[in-house]
Amino acid sequence: MAKLPKVNELGFFEIRLESIGGLGANLAGKMLSEDGVVGNGLNGVGFSSYGSEKKGSPVKAYIRFCDPVTHIRDTTPIERPHVVGIFHEALLKTTDCASGIYPDSTILVNSQRSPDELRQLMKIDSGTIAVVNATEIALEEQTKVNTTMLGALYRILDFLDPDSMKDTIRRTFEKKYPHFVEPNIRTFDRGFDEIEFMTFEPVEGTAPRPFKRFEPALGYQTQPIGGTITNPGNSILKDLSISRAGMLPHFHDDKCINCAACDTVCPDFCFVWEEKEDKRGRPQMFLKGIDYQYCKGCLKCVQACPVEALTDEREYNDGYADKNRVPHLFDLMSQN
Amino acid sequence: MTIDLKQENMISPQGTIEQSVVFESGNEMAAYAAHQINYHVMGYYPISPSTEVAQFLDGMKAKGEHDIVLIPADGEHGSAGICYGAATGGGRVFNATSANGFLYMLEQLPVQSGTRFPMVMNLVNRSVSGPLNIHGDHSDLYFALNTGWPILMARDPQIVYDMNVMAIKLAEDPEVRLPVIVSFDGYFTSHQKRRVQVIKSKEDVHKFIGSPPTDFPHALDRENPVTIGPYMNEPDYINNCYQQSEAMYNAESVFERISKEYAELTGREYPVIDLYRMDDAEVAVFMLNSAAEVCKDVADKLRSKGIKAGVISPNMIRPFPQKKLADVLKNVKAVTVGDRADSYGGHGGNMALELRAALHRYGNVNIKVINRIYGLGGKDFYADEAEHFYQLAQEAVDKGHVEKPFDYFGHTPGKAENVPERVLNPMKKEDLNTGLVTVTPDEKTGELKVKIPPLRNLTKKPKRLASGHGACPGCGIFSGLELFFKGIEGDIVALFHTGCAMVVTTGYPYSSHKATYIHNLFQNGSATLSGLVEMFYERKRRGELEELGLSDDFTFVMVTGDGGMDIGMGPAIGTALRNHKMIILEYDNEGYMNTGSQLSYSTPMGHMTSTSNVGSFQNGKPFHHKDTPQIMAATHIPYVFTGTEAFDRDLLKKAAKAQWYANNEGLVYGKILITCPLNWKSKDELGQTIVGAAVNSCFFPLYEVERGKTKITYDPEDKNKRINVTEWLKLMGKSKHLLKEDSHETLKMFDDEVERRWKQLKAKHESPYL
Repeated sequence: MAKLPKVNELGFFEIRLESIGGLGANLAGKMLSEDGVVGNGLNGVGFSSYGSEKKGSPVKAYIRFCDPVTHIRDTTPIERPHVVGIFHEALLKTTDCASGIYPDSTILVNSQRSPDELRQLMKIDSGTIAVVNATEIALEEQTKVNTTMLGALYRILDFLDPDSMKDTIRRTFEKKYPHFVEPNIRTFDRGFDEIEFMTFEPVEGTAPRPFKRFEPALGYQTQPIGGTITNPGNSILKDLSISRAGMLPHFHDDKCINCAACDTVCPDFCFVWEEKEDKRGRPQMFLKGIDYQYCKGCLKCVQACPVEALTDEREYNDGYADKNRVPHLFDLMSQN
Repeated sequence: MTIDLKQENMISPQGTIEQSVVFESGNEMAAYAAHQINYHVMGYYPISPSTEVAQFLDGMKAKGEHDIVLIPADGEHGSAGICYGAATGGGRVFNATSANGFLYMLEQLPVQSGTRFPMVMNLVNRSVSGPLNIHGDHSDLYFALNTGWPILMARDPQIVYDMNVMAIKLAEDPEVRLPVIVSFDGYFTSHQKRRVQVIKSKEDVHKFIGSPPTDFPHALDRENPVTIGPYMNEPDYINNCYQQSEAMYNAESVFERISKEYAELTGREYPVIDLYRMDDAEVAVFMLNSAAEVCKDVADKLRSKGIKAGVISPNMIRPFPQKKLADVLKNVKAVTVGDRADSYGGHGGNMALELRAALHRYGNVNIKVINRIYGLGGKDFYADEAEHFYQLAQEAVDKGHVEKPFDYFGHTPGKAENVPERVLNPMKKEDLNTGLVTVTPDEKTGELKVKIPPLRNLTKKPKRLASGHGACPGCGIFSGLELFFKGIEGDIVALFHTGCAMVVTTGYPYSSHKATYIHNLFQNGSATLSGLVEMFYERKRRGELEELGLSDDFTFVMVTGDGGMDIGMGPAIGTALRNHKMIILEYDNEGYMNTGSQLSYSTPMGHMTSTSNVGSFQNGKPFHHKDTPQIMAATHIPYVFTGTEAFDRDLLKKAAKAQWYANNEGLVYGKILITCPLNWKSKDELGQTIVGAAVNSCFFPLYEVERGKTKITYDPEDKNKRINVTEWLKLMGKSKHLLKEDSHETLKMFDDEVERRWKQLKAKHESPYL
């Protein structure tokens, strides 16, 4: 039976996975908790943040492990994780994924960066930073990010038997999709092997990183009665670029024929147009570019484009989207 | 998955029966118990968070693991009706629902208890609300209190299983003979996976619950015809109620008897009230379901500090265990009652009120009772908050009185400086009225002439919806809706039915609606918008809108998914028959995608959804897709159309016509087929390609029915573009299996039906009389 390396005051070893919908963190959490209990003799619980979050929206999965005789009563989200698994580096832009960690917690990030860079980015003083390039591995093996992350997590969670998880992967695929078994086992192994660690020793007496429970901006003294939103179209304030899972369209102005086919198919209204004079001096609409703040990388526009003005490209950490973003010019109240 | 007990260093279950251990959620355990019991019939309708129960049962059915007849209803009113009808037939019946779904079936429940037909329903607790909230609280449960159904409570997945096995036995007991509710918390219990011990063999389950009773009248006994549900006025009716009341009170002792038998078999005993460290407790909290478990950890902690803390959590709240609770509280100094729903205006939540009544009835005037409304809409309840509840009790003991007997807990005032400023100006009238889209009736024939510009020119027109909505990448809803709106000039007021488009555009405090938008119930949008339309014309007639800047009429658009057109079919037909000046625009993504891809009536035959699984015993959806445009055309409204974003100019023209008819003649219905890459299991970028293929395969013909005359607006055969349905089906993961050899029969049935409907449509196109 597995022996937990450390536990909190209620006897739990706690893991939090931070992801966006579609990368399989929910499933990974379920598989991990199930394998801990079924394959490794622990007791445990697994659950996710649920809402009407769709693919591309932030999601969290929680896993608690304890010894087999401990009762599990706590149903609340994990605030003090021993291990955090971040499936999508872009989340760091909008979320404090390391919220509530202990000084010696382990943070695993799917990233192309080095542990030291990530440590600075997340402003973490101590603990272990682990990195695996899960997106790249998944693209290469034509599998999913979650399998890579599971492989990496099993390296961190060395009280669990990786063979047991590999059996689970085998069982999951072999009946219906036997051709997926080998790539997924390979993906798991690569996650396990290609993970890089760096440990930063905590200064003694360091308090855990604070965890802040979400408190809404509005309250019973300030929100309009009946839940009515009196702020039309304010979702433009949101940044949805974190929904992209590795791909984005590039716009090539010189090839564009301004047919608006892209505008017709775009679910997120990312195309920015401006009125200019055409060759004959008449006012006409011209495509100016893409507002990447809202682009979720579905690439429907690339498919719809009758010429080669839009192409699908891999998104790297090179700031392409920020540099090439053409922001919408909304009719803002603040300009009045 | 079963865990081998011998390998694990785990406390083996007591009891005399062979058990195994699984690792599953509350919903899975409700389904697991149901499949072991092998109910005859389940009528169901999807609603979060209970939907999974039907999904799991459908998955098991596809593998041949049970024989339950699973009936996808047209709404919860329908599902409860199916269940009631089935129950009158003398077999075993099962259902699961939540929240608004529960309320939609509410009027069926007292009929079922009043006419004394047992069944079991899992009520997976969720907030009943406007504004919409899908998370767990007990506001639906509190509506169940007066239905006449005994109510069993389940704090975790283990108890969900155990209560489900006992519930059917309780329901069928001759002394009770009432339908029974098993209540457990949405998400906290329904979706958290736990280690659960189960009775290993179905035979043992059956031995425990026994055969369905045969000595009560039912509807399928030809030798003994019965009249079920007579017209019964006074003076007889009160006697029926008295019988029911007696039966309800019997349920307490019958449950105790069943629970003891169950404990002998399994080692797990459920007294009527779950008590934790209450023997010598001085301060206690009283909570229902999962939050009570959180309190137990806190009681342990307080005990270690010398505070005599305990937890009370009834396993049954109907009948309310009044005397037992009074006994438990005899020596307790103060109790904090947490109610996870308010009884607005009642000076307490329902549990607090009933507990106070119990204490009064048994003469306990010394105990201090504090009541807090907490955890509404699924707000988490943490250990430190439970500790606060004990503190409230302790303070009352120390001070000798209760400072605030009733209050909310966990609500936040907000700060004036955090109130966000309005972001956008109203859209400009001149931008919305481009003048580029025109509809003119021919002076002689009255036929509408529509002119539309190149789409490029319409990029200047403001989009009605704002960026920043939370739909999945590649979602077809928003491109489809905006293409339609490009054809509409001037102002709109929109109502969205419950569904993806509603949920992802209005996550509080954000809205992606730049124009006024309304959401009401899942099924009631047509009626609601028709009310607003009539208010508009009446207020306009009375001259009340001029000062509000009204210069042109609004165009009223109701946006619904195909699910909303299932549950909302009745109100839609009523609205059509009354011919209000508005548009019903249905985005059809062939399923209940917002709740996790359950089948809708519009799901094509053979397609895989989470309630039409594919396996050796079932091959996707068993019946054909609903032809909603033809149903709506049969109401003889002025204009019906179909469209997709793959044929942009076609849809644009139809939008322009739709507006003209909605402003001048009456109701318009249009269906646009849109892609759901997530649940169609298709590539995000192929959205337009797939709906294009649906048109070219003649599965989704583009046509209009204008003043009763059918016109096919794009004929793939004429254009030499007709493709086989398989060319379309192969593009989606949900239908790929239909291309396999063993699906040949299903595929042929589907293909034949597509062809039959297409030929019929062509005949209509050719004749103005069809």
